[in-house]
Amino acid sequence: MNFNSALQYKGWWIMLLSVTFAVVTDPLGTVLLFSRFGSVGEWSVARIIMVYAMAVTSFGLAESFLRGFDYFPGHSIRTGNFDRMLLRPAPLFTQIAASYFHIHRLARPASGICAICWSFYAQGTIITPTVVAVVVCGLAGGFILYSGAFIFTSGVSFFTIKALDWIYLFTNASYQVTRCPVPYMPNALKNVFTFFMPMLLVSYYPASVACGWGEDTWKGWVALPAGILFLFASWLIWQTGLRHYKSTGS
Amino acid sequence: MTAGKNFRVGAAVFRIKTAEALQYNVAWLANSLVGTFWGLIEITVYTVFFTYANASYVQSAALTLAQTVSYVWLAQAFFVSNAMMGMDGEIVGKINSGDIGFELCRPMDLYTYWYAKIFGGRFAPLVWRGLPVLLVGMVLPASYRISGPASIGGLLLMIISMLAAMLLSVAFNMLLLSVRIGIAWGDGPVNMILLFAGVLSGGYLPLQLWPDFMQKFLLFQPFAGYMDIPLRFYVGSANMRDAWQILVQMGWTAIFILLGRAVMKSRLKSVVIQGG
Repeated sequence: MNFNSALQYKGWWIMLLSVTFAVVTDPLGTVLLFSRFGSVGEWSVARIIMVYAMAVTSFGLAESFLRGFDYFPGHSIRTGNFDRMLLRPAPLFTQIAASYFHIHRLARPASGICAICWSFYAQGTIITPTVVAVVVCGLAGGFILYSGAFIFTSGVSFFTIKALDWIYLFTNASYQVTRCPVPYMPNALKNVFTFFMPMLLVSYYPASVACGWGEDTWKGWVALPAGILFLFASWLIWQTGLRHYKSTGS
Repeated sequence: MTAGKNFRVGAAVFRIKTAEALQYNVAWLANSLVGTFWGLIEITVYTVFFTYANASYVQSAALTLAQTVSYVWLAQAFFVSNAMMGMDGEIVGKINSGDIGFELCRPMDLYTYWYAKIFGGRFAPLVWRGLPVLLVGMVLPASYRISGPASIGGLLLMIISMLAAMLLSVAFNMLLLSVRIGIAWGDGPVNMILLFAGVLSGGYLPLQLWPDFMQKFLLFQPFAGYMDIPLRFYVGSANMRDAWQILVQMGWTAIFILLGRAVMKSRLKSVVIQGG
């Protein structure tokens, strides 16, 4: 229903275009850096694009389907709409997830997948079923992970009421990390984004295994369990938040 | 209305709006955390490139690593005030809801009123987001720390150029706003243009690190004046002899103001206020 209503606005394709534009400009700085400095060791533009595209695609998928959670703090908690949701005889999760759906958000995963394909082509990777499986598994893990991030931020908003900007650290800003060639990354940063906020597990490691950059094979498959683990942790936070929820209404 | 009175009214609006915007500090402080994080990642990326890339490429780059690090912190501090600052939500809301009718009833020039209002709103992010980010940039370990200005003259030129940058970006925003009057679905294209401006202002990569053959174009396009030109004076990649670059900023400001006024005038002639 939301999908159809969005199509009614005549500007929707422009929004689509503008999101695509955003996705393309985002890594532009890094691409230009490569053109200025040449490649860094083994790392070329194709590799960075590959890692970045993995992260963007899974983030975009999560954003498309769980947009409601992204808007949750501002649009549901603060306005008191959430009270109404609690009264409806439908699963809470579905209600929130489906409360907003923006078609133009799909531009992000779409361009991400194109970028992955281009990167395979540019590196001359031979596509075997295993390669496809690793990438799909990585994307699925990423989708679950970012879904977890959205649920996590919504859970926190039960306490803070307002969506605070620092929450973007966990969603939009986090995939910026993938712009850095991982082997050269300072260890502290690498550890934070591997163990605490496992962004690299769903982008760098699957990409590395798929294209044969020399990481151990098993690390490429960790994406899915890591995503599920993160989602589970987020779910606990959400449940805790829900239990503590006191209406913001009068 | 005389120009003098127009200016006095505008100055008053500017004072009120600045004071009002400065009240909203908590949101901006939280935002500065994101800015700091962003800055750290950017510096990491640049450090990797400057350290591990082919040495001859590094030496031929127009900026050194230390200059780039300073650039990143300053960019984080200023970026929101110009490039990333979207349209004034309040004014767009008035256009969408038809409240623009009330605005037209005010006994003052609409362009001046909105211009002063937007300009006033620009200082709050500068103080509440910019200063904390700069403070963090000053206390970090040496390889991540912002360096001092290249010279006192450079610092002064940067401050002048920064003010020019804010006037410029508000003038461009006013042009967009004027075009926006009478279009109900304009958010998409406007976002795209703002993003475009952000890229060309050096927010994604200092303009002097872009390919060499583009440098002339990059310097003279309007958005270099948003941020890149002021920061060149600070990091010392432009010196006193390059002070004329501020004139480029002012020239574009004048063009945008004239265009914006013309567009607004023609739009307001045809605007129809509905409802009673």
